Amino acid sequence: MSSTGDSVASSKWLDAHYDPVANLYTFSSCIALSDLHGDGENKLVVGDLGTGVCNMKLKVYRGTGLLSESTLLDLPTGLVSFLMDLHEPRTPAIAVASGPFIYVYKNLRPYFKFTLPSLEVNPLEQDVWSQAKEDMIDPMTLKEMLEGLRDKAEIPLSVRSLRFLMLEPQEMENFVLLHKEQPIRRQTVITCIGTLKKNMADEDAVSCLVIGTENGDVYILDPEAFTILYKMSLPSTPTLMDVTGQFDVEFRITVACRNGNIYILRRDSPKPKYCIELSSHPVALVRMGKNVVVGCTHETLHGYTQKGKKLWTAYLPAPVTTMALMDLPTRGFQAVLVGLANCEVHMYRDKNLVSSIKTPDVVTSICFGRYGREDGTLIMTTKGGGLIVKILKRTAVFDDRDSAPGPPIAQSIRLNVPKKTKLYVDQTLRERENAVAMHRAFQMDLSRLRLAAARAYVKALESSLTPMSASLTEPLKMNAVVQGLGPSFKLTLNIQNTAACRPVMNLAISFLYDENLYSMRTAFFKIPLLVPGLNYPIDTFVECLSDKGISDIIKVFVLREGKSAPLLTAHINMPVSEGLALN
Amino acid sequence: MADDAMKTDVQLPVATDLKKPRPKKAPELPILERRNWLIHLHYIRKDYETCKAVIKEQLHETQGMCEYAVYVQALIMRLEGKIQQSLELFQSCAILNPKSSDNLKQVARSLFLLGKHKAAIEVYNEAARLNQKDWEISHNLGVCYIYTKDFKSAEEQLNLALQLNKHDLTYMMLGKIHLLQGDTETAIDVYKSAVEFSPENTELLTTLGLLYMQVSDVYRLSGEHLAISCLKRANYLSAILAAGSMMQTHGDYDVAMNKYRVAAYSVPESPPLWNNIGMCFFGKKKYVAAISCLKRANYLSPFDWKILYNLGLVHLTMQQYASAFHFLSAAINLRPRMSELYMLLAVALTNLDDADNARRSYEQALQLDESKLLVNLNFAVFLYNQGDKKAALLQFQEMERKVNTQVDNNSNTEFDPEPEADVSSAPSPPTVDPGEPEDEDEVEETAELKEKKSKPKAAAE
Repeated sequence: MSSTGDSVASSKWLDAHYDPVANLYTFSSCIALSDLHGDGENKLVVGDLGTGVCNMKLKVYRGTGLLSESTLLDLPTGLVSFLMDLHEPRTPAIAVASGPFIYVYKNLRPYFKFTLPSLEVNPLEQDVWSQAKEDMIDPMTLKEMLEGLRDKAEIPLSVRSLRFLMLEPQEMENFVLLHKEQPIRRQTVITCIGTLKKNMADEDAVSCLVIGTENGDVYILDPEAFTILYKMSLPSTPTLMDVTGQFDVEFRITVACRNGNIYILRRDSPKPKYCIELSSHPVALVRMGKNVVVGCTHETLHGYTQKGKKLWTAYLPAPVTTMALMDLPTRGFQAVLVGLANCEVHMYRDKNLVSSIKTPDVVTSICFGRYGREDGTLIMTTKGGGLIVKILKRTAVFDDRDSAPGPPIAQSIRLNVPKKTKLYVDQTLRERENAVAMHRAFQMDLSRLRLAAARAYVKALESSLTPMSASLTEPLKMNAVVQGLGPSFKLTLNIQNTAACRPVMNLAISFLYDENLYSMRTAFFKIPLLVPGLNYPIDTFVECLSDKGISDIIKVFVLREGKSAPLLTAHINMPVSEGLALN
Repeated sequence: MADDAMKTDVQLPVATDLKKPRPKKAPELPILERRNWLIHLHYIRKDYETCKAVIKEQLHETQGMCEYAVYVQALIMRLEGKIQQSLELFQSCAILNPKSSDNLKQVARSLFLLGKHKAAIEVYNEAARLNQKDWEISHNLGVCYIYTKDFKSAEEQLNLALQLNKHDLTYMMLGKIHLLQGDTETAIDVYKSAVEFSPENTELLTTLGLLYMQVSDVYRLSGEHLAISCLKRANYLSAILAAGSMMQTHGDYDVAMNKYRVAAYSVPESPPLWNNIGMCFFGKKKYVAAISCLKRANYLSPFDWKILYNLGLVHLTMQQYASAFHFLSAAINLRPRMSELYMLLAVALTNLDDADNARRSYEQALQLDESKLLVNLNFAVFLYNQGDKKAALLQFQEMERKVNTQVDNNSNTEFDPEPEADVSSAPSPPTVDPGEPEDEDEVEETAELKEKKSKPKAAAE
C-alpha cells in the first residue's frame, strides 16, 4: 500500500532543485516568499541562524542561486514579508525579529529598526542604583541589597543587576563605574512575529506587524509609524502564532504558548478569549480555513475549531518537526504539510493522509507558495542544511481518500494457517488406534528414565563426581582448565572453599592417568590451607607421550589426609595433542 | 542611545552621524533570556543534542543564571533517565525563581518518578498554593495518592482536576481507582462520561467495552461499543480480540474470523490471537486447522495454560487421548488448582484405560471445586460405566441437588438440566485478568465438552 502511494506521490512533484550543502540553519518562522523587487518574480528570503552563535545571515535566493546575503547582528527569531505603505511600486518590506529589535529592510537595504518598549523597572532597584551612582553605598552593600530584592520582589531585576550579581568581588567596582551613569532598563525579547492586514482583505493590502514577547505580551504595530497600536497579554511566553482578519474590522490571533496551551485572542479583549489545553507541547500550528491544526510532541495532529473545540486527532508515525499550509487558491485546494522526523513530509486534509513525500534528510522548515513565477512551489530546508525545491505538477490530483467506510484491507488477506502433512495425519490415525498402548509405553519409559536418572545421581554422589563436595566439613568447589596445544599441556585446577568462615587444611591432590600416554612431574601433591571464599589456581604440567593422535581422561582426586575416599573427583577430557601430530 | 550606536556597527547606513564619544558608552548587556525561544524550539522538536549545545552556550554566557535553560536541561536529563540529577537542577530553578509553580511541579514530578510519593505530595501541595487552578497539579496529586493507597483523597483531587479541565488521562485514573476498589459500576459511569467527552479515544472505548463484558448482562450494548472502538482504529489488538471472542461466544465464527484476520495482519505473533483463531476453527469443526493454530499459539507462549487447556480439549475431541493427556498434564503443572483441568484429565485417562488414576483425578477435581455440576455428572457416568452403580447414583443425586439449588437461587427460567444449556449461566472459569478476552473461549470450550460427555450419559441411562 505504502509503496504504491510513494510512487504516486513522487510523480506529483517535479524535483526542481536540491542543494544538500546550502548550509542553511533555519526554521519555518524564518522563511518567506516575497516579490522583493516588484517585478512579479517571487524570491525566497531566509533568516539563517548561521552556526547558532555567529555568522547569522539574511539570504535571498532567486531561482536556484543565491541573490544576496547580508549579515545579521543576532539570531533571527522570525521573518515576515509585508506591505507597509501604498507607495508605488508596491514592493514589500522584510521584517526580521531578533532579540528585542525588529529590523525592517526595504529593497534589501536596512530601513528602520524598531525596539521593544522597556519594561517596568523595580523602583527599589532604581533607588539602590541611584544610591550607588552617588557613591553612597559600596559594591558589597549594593550586592546584598540587590540579592534581597531578587528574592522577594514582584518585578524581576534588570539585566544589569543580574549581571552584577554574577561578578567576582574584584570586578564589581569597575562594573559599577562603567554602568552607573546609564539609566536602568529592563528589556525582553521577541519570540514570534506575524502580520495582520490593516483594513482591507486584499492580497496586496497594507499589513501591521504582530509580535509576541518573552514576558507574554502581544503587540500590534502600525505599519508606517511603527507605534504600538494595541497590546494584549498572555499567561505564558508565546512560541507560535497565527493571525487572521483585519485590524480595523475583526481579527483573531491564535498563539501557542510555552506552557503547552493555545490561546485565542480577539479584537475586543486584551486577554485571551479561548484557551485550548493540550496534553503535550505544540510543535507547529497552522490555520486551515476556520480550523486550527496543531502538531504535538506526542506524535499527534489535532484539529480544533476557532473556539477551541476539538474536532479530530490523527496519529503520526514519527515526531513532528515542522508544519506549513499548502494553499492552492486557483484549484481551491488546501492541505497541511507536516514534516516528520522519519524523513517524510505528510500531506493531511483534516485527519486524512492525502499524500506523502520522502526526503533525503529530516525537514526542519517548510514553505509553500509562489516562487519565481511558479505558483505551487514547495521549499524545504533540512537538518543537515540542505535546500529542497519541488514544484507541484499541474496534472497532480489529490483524491480525498477517506479511510472510514468499507472494511479494512487486512480483512481480505488470508490467514496464514500452518498446513499439516500426510505424516501428521497418519500419526494421528495411529494414535487413535493405539492410544492406550502408546500411553502405557510412554509411562513405562518415563518411569525407566526417572529411575536411570536417580541411579546416575546417586552414583555421582557416592563417587564424589560432582564439582561440589557434598561433605559438610569440607565444602569445596573445583573446576579444571586445560591450556596448550601439546605435547605439553598446562592443567589449572581452581579450588575454592565455599564455607562461610572455616578454613580447610590438610588436603592433597592426586592424579590418575594412563602412564603410557601421559607423564606428569608430580602426580601427587599437597595443597595449602584454603581460606574461605578465595579462589586457588593450582597449575601442573602434563606431557603427552603418544604421537598417535589419541587422547584419554585424566582423573583428579581431592583427598583428605587419613581418608581413602576422595572429597571431590574430576574427569578431565584431554584434548588431542596437535603438537606431535604436526611433527 | 546605545541602539543607535549599534546600528552603525551593523552597517545600517541610517544615522551614521549619531556616533557618541567612545569612552562614555557602556557595553550593551545581552538579555539573559534571549535564546529561550531557540532552546524551546529544539526541545519540542526532540532535537536534544542541538538543544543541549545551545543550553551549554547559554549557561556559559549567563553563568547558570538563565532559569529556562536550566529548566530544559533538567527536562532533557529526566528523559535520559538521570532523575536524581534533574531533580537537583529543578531545585536550583526553584531557587532562581521561587514564585513559579512550574518549577515546583517539576520537582514534584521528579520526586514522583523516584518513588518518593509522600515528598511529591508535599511539593505538589506547595505548588497548588502558588497556582490554584491547575488541573495538572490536581491530577498528579491524585496519582500520587493512588500510589500511597489513599483512594479517598485521590478521588477528591481527580474530581477537582476534572472540574478545572477535562482530560482523558484524568478519567482513566479515576476509573482505575474505582476498579481498584472493586466498584465496577461507578468505574463504568466514569468511563461513560469520559467517552462522551472524548469519543475517539480507543483506549477509553476498549476499557469501557471490556468492563461491559465483565458485567456481562449487557452483551448487546457492549457489542456496540466494542464495534465502534474497533472501527476507529482497526489495529488495536485488545479491542479486536475482545469483540472477536464475544462474537465467538454467540457462535458468529465467520465474523470473528474477519476480525482476527485484521488483527493477524498487524500483530502476527500474538499468542491469544492464535488461540482464539484456533478455537474459531474448533467451533467450525475444522479440527486440523484448530490444532495448527493452537500449536502455533503454544509455540509463541509455551507457558500459557489456557492454550494448553484448549489443545487438550481439541485432542480429546480428535480422540487423540495420549496427546490430550500430555497437554492437560502440562496445563495442570502450570495451574494446579483448577477443577476443570482435572476433570478433562480424568476423561483422557478413562479413555486410556487407566481407571484408577481417572477416579483419583475426578476426586481431586471435586475436592478443588465443589460447585461444578459437570464434574459430578461426568464422574457419575464414569462410575456407572465402571459398574459402581451405587457411587454413580450418589454423584448423580449430588448433581441434581446442585442443579435445584441453582435454579432456586437464580430463578433463571431458561435453566434446563440439559448440560448444554447451563453453559450460559455457568460462570466462566476463574479469570486471571478481567481484561483478557480469551476467557470467553473457555465458556465455549466447556460447552463442547459437555456436549460430548452428555452422549455417554444418555447411553448409560
